[in-house]
Amino acid sequence: MLEHSLEVENASVSFGSGSTCVRALTDVSLKFAASTLTLVMGPSGSGKTTLLSLLGCLLTPDEGSVFIQGTNTGSCTAAEKSALRRREIGFIFQAFRLFHSLSAVENVVIKSDIAKSDQAGAGRKQRQKMASDLLAGLGLDGKLHLKPDALSGGEKQRVAIARALISNPKILLADEPTAALDSNSGRQICEILRRLADDGRQTVVIVSHDPRWASFADRTVLLEDGRIVQDSRGR
Amino acid sequence: MRLAWYNITHDRMRFAVTVLGITCAVFLMIFQGSILLGFLRASSKIIDSTGADLWIRGRGVQCFEFAVPIERRFADLARGVPGVSGTSRIITSLVQFRKTDGSQQQVALIGADMNSAADSNSSVRLPIPQLAGSPLGVSPEALIVDSSNTQILKIPGRLPLEVEINDQRARVVGRTSGFSSFLGSPYVFASYTDALRYLRLRPDETMFILVNVLPGFAIEEVKRQLQARLPSVEVSTREEFSRRAQFYWTSQTGAGGAILAAAVLGFFVGLTIVSQAIYSTTMEHIEEFATLRALGATPGYIVRVIVSQAMLSGLAGYFLGLAITNPMIRAAQPNIPWISTPWWLPVGVLLPALAMCGLASILSVKAAITVEPAKVFRA
Repeated sequence: MLEHSLEVENASVSFGSGSTCVRALTDVSLKFAASTLTLVMGPSGSGKTTLLSLLGCLLTPDEGSVFIQGTNTGSCTAAEKSALRRREIGFIFQAFRLFHSLSAVENVVIKSDIAKSDQAGAGRKQRQKMASDLLAGLGLDGKLHLKPDALSGGEKQRVAIARALISNPKILLADEPTAALDSNSGRQICEILRRLADDGRQTVVIVSHDPRWASFADRTVLLEDGRIVQDSRGR
Repeated sequence: MRLAWYNITHDRMRFAVTVLGITCAVFLMIFQGSILLGFLRASSKIIDSTGADLWIRGRGVQCFEFAVPIERRFADLARGVPGVSGTSRIITSLVQFRKTDGSQQQVALIGADMNSAADSNSSVRLPIPQLAGSPLGVSPEALIVDSSNTQILKIPGRLPLEVEINDQRARVVGRTSGFSSFLGSPYVFASYTDALRYLRLRPDETMFILVNVLPGFAIEEVKRQLQARLPSVEVSTREEFSRRAQFYWTSQTGAGGAILAAAVLGFFVGLTIVSQAIYSTTMEHIEEFATLRALGATPGYIVRVIVSQAMLSGLAGYFLGLAITNPMIRAAQPNIPWISTPWWLPVGVLLPALAMCGLASILSVKAAITVEPAKVFRA
């Protein structure tokens, strides 16, 4: 098993060109070990989301490399990057990004529908059962068939977590997962993600402004102006 | 493709508008197609309902309705050609039909020899007034009209009915069906000799000579020999003349083009409505497509979602279109009796309907597969 499931090496990213060029990340190197929850903090415009996009294969660095489960994503085609995202990464978004026309359980199943070609043998009924079990495990067993509009913010985020987990990814990337939630729901999400890092041996990277996360994180990385200014370990 | 189905049914009003657009397009395509096919059939109906292998007509005559006189003796000359078993004659012209109330109606009078009609096992047979009890005798001064024209000609239920053709006495003795005219002037059928009199043609004149070829002789070869023997007229097979007439009425008069243009217009109106509806549905869900991309969906998966949305709408619109077309065509039949909807036309329209929906998805597909997946991180 790899010591570090996720790694960024001397990565730099800039947007625009000429006089409008903005440097979003400069020479960032980070390694993320399995079973850890890393919190990435920093003021707005510090490069947190850019870092998350790099880690999620949604962006290619101008310089440097990103390794996912030992694969250098710089040498991957777009299709290979999509496959990496399907197999290895689970995303949790601030705005939940659920499909409004689908029920909670269908919102979870869709991730496995997309990854169907990677999951030989798993039929739709089986995948639906997996999705229902996941949602039940997150306390949503009575709301499997409700559409997102009928769910609270915390419930939506738990559906999003179940969706991220259904393909059993090694890496979970969460962008401000508690920003849209009340304190109680936010705390529940913190606990769930912490549990996933501990029990599920997942590499969890969270970008957040929320100070509550500090007590749940194994490590806190502070970014400012696209550079790492602090990398501290321990809760 | 559950997502496709849920996406389109989530906004039911938009789905209804999309389906309505496709329904209109399907209806227009089938309806205009039926008019075009009916028009094609009607324009060669008289030619097709004869039993002749070959038709002799004046040079430059493109269709049955606009005939010119030719010499009757050509029939005698034709019978001298090896392989010819017999000939018959047909004449036609527009004449005045005086109704029982004294008003006049222009009709297309057709007079044919008894042996002009196709044999009795043919699906279409030229109607010729027959003498009761005599299969070969013709009823004098007798006329046959198409049932679809009885109202315009003011012909009541009981026959015979005394009328006048070009101020000469005639009697409507029977009705036929399937010979409704597309010209606006109803067809009226008479015996050859009566028609010759009504049209005031000289006895040595006729308009079409129909030739039957003996079994064992090649029709093409007999045609070639007839054309060599009669260079001042045109000889063609029944099928050739039928196609020529159809081509003339549809292409050279512009009527077919106008009907076809309406069908094509239906396609493009549908295409525009469906494109607009599918594009706006896609743009409304563009962030969901970005999410799909972020979750690892391949462009192929996204194309399948959008095309499935379009095809589902297409199928719903197609079947609804079919459902309304049948009663609409039935409602149009009293005014357009020659309208014809063969079974393969509605089936065949499925293809352009789905092609229309497929084409309509192109812009949406482009927008959805080029969406930046990193967009998902923006709140």
